[in-house]
Amino acid sequence: MSILFSGRASSGASAHKISLGRRFVMFWVNHVRQALFSLGELWRTPSASILTIGVLGVSLTLPATLHLLVKNVQQVSDSFTQAAEISLFIKDGTDDRQINSLLKILQADNDIARVTHISKQQALAEFADVSGFGAALTYLTDNPLPDVLLVLPKNTSAGSARQLLDRLSKERIVEFGKLDIDWLTRLDAIVSLLRQAVLVIAILLLGAVLLIIGNTIRLSIMNKKDEIEVMKLVGATDAFIQRPFLYSGVWFGVFGGLLAFLIVEAMLWWLQGAIGSVTSLYDSEFRLMAFSVTEFFSLMLLAVLLGLTGSYLSVRRHISAIEPTGP
Amino acid sequence: MLEFDQVSKSYPGGFVALDRVSFKLEKGEMAFLTGHSGAGKSTLLKLISLIERPSVGRVLINDVDLSRIRRPHIPYVRRDIGIIFQNHRLLMNHTVFDNVALPLVIEGFSGKDMVKRVHAALDKVGLLDKVRCLPQTLSGGEQQRVGIARAVVNKPPLLLADEPTGNLDPDLSKDIMRVFEAFNQVGVSVLVATHDLGLVARMKYRTLTLKQGKMINDGLLQYQEDPL
Repeated sequence: MSILFSGRASSGASAHKISLGRRFVMFWVNHVRQALFSLGELWRTPSASILTIGVLGVSLTLPATLHLLVKNVQQVSDSFTQAAEISLFIKDGTDDRQINSLLKILQADNDIARVTHISKQQALAEFADVSGFGAALTYLTDNPLPDVLLVLPKNTSAGSARQLLDRLSKERIVEFGKLDIDWLTRLDAIVSLLRQAVLVIAILLLGAVLLIIGNTIRLSIMNKKDEIEVMKLVGATDAFIQRPFLYSGVWFGVFGGLLAFLIVEAMLWWLQGAIGSVTSLYDSEFRLMAFSVTEFFSLMLLAVLLGLTGSYLSVRRHISAIEPTGP
Repeated sequence: MLEFDQVSKSYPGGFVALDRVSFKLEKGEMAFLTGHSGAGKSTLLKLISLIERPSVGRVLINDVDLSRIRRPHIPYVRRDIGIIFQNHRLLMNHTVFDNVALPLVIEGFSGKDMVKRVHAALDKVGLLDKVRCLPQTLSGGEQQRVGIARAVVNKPPLLLADEPTGNLDPDLSKDIMRVFEAFNQVGVSVLVATHDLGLVARMKYRTLTLKQGKMINDGLLQYQEDPL
């Protein structure tokens, strides 16, 4: 493209008869070449690069670890489905026929996963067994315990369990229903608090990462001030000059993301033994969850985007500010 | 092709670098721009290469007013103008080949085409055997010729040189001028700023002389060597 010399035949590759397909291939070849060139640049300034990548990696590690923590806590809280079990106490003096018909109705209910009937006699036997009042209970003239229906809702979240409870409490033969849900809502609240804390910390750290990458790129722009001036004098556009710096940002992101992943994996491996001994004491089947493939790629994508954004912010400010003063 | 129309340039603080300068350079013409340092030679070249903008007046290339060129288009204008600097301004940590190839890379050349053009440019300045050298290992005259090769590698129709023989001995200076003459003979317009009046007088080309920002002479320079 020549603005001043309309008849200038040989200005630029675009004036040559290069097929579209070949130009498309060359476009990508050029980008790969520039990406590799930027990688080489990082390699040539190892100390600065390693520091930046280290900071990026460590900064990404913390949010990643917290994310895993939340994920694992959630796994634990999900395993407490019993918590949403509803106990329906049946009115005294209800006969077995009525209880059985309610049992059938509830079993057919779409919102209910399972219904168990604990009869007065079973309850008394269990109570005698567990409480240690065995002998004393034989003095009772009649059984004071009611029949109980244990209802396990399909949807175990606190809200829907409570709705179901309200509905079932209206049954004619039901004295009252009880749902031990308070501690579950507390756990939910703690998990969501944790999740929001992770979000805030993550945003702060990612902001720091942006600034760090921006500053690193700014320094390397300043180091190449003379080179950039020369390039501008021989007709390089800002876009052309900034491309290698953007690629540097991408590489910082790639390596920083990988570093964060490795740190987290090492930490998991380190903690596995300790967590195993704790969970075996609680007789739990808890297994520590690591990153899934999707999460790994999200981490990498996030790191690359951060690198690119950080360098873009820096490049946009500083490259246009450098103007040649020669000749 | 290149036209200055009543161009003045003053810098903040009131210093007037150019004062109502007018001249025309035709297509394929070669001219010298002389004057003492501070007379405005560099400013004049900066106005052409859009490093500076005139305070008053118009600079036109092929009847296009350069004040109409907005910032994003400046690089494309510079691709049409080969500029040679007094201090070479080579990239010292890149080879001679990379330095000369830079304008071509910027324009999107690649592969054999690029290599061919770089070799042709280096051949014209007689440095084909130094392709793989780093600029530090070259002499001052050779570095200057690398700068010339870089300026002409994409065959610009207009060539500007700012003190291209500034630090060179007379023989080398003459060689450099021969190179410019050779380009001029294939149709390139050449404007060389220099204070080497002896050289200018011997070359017998049109000479524009600036003094304190004013154009005081336009034509052949009548210059007498100072008697010893």
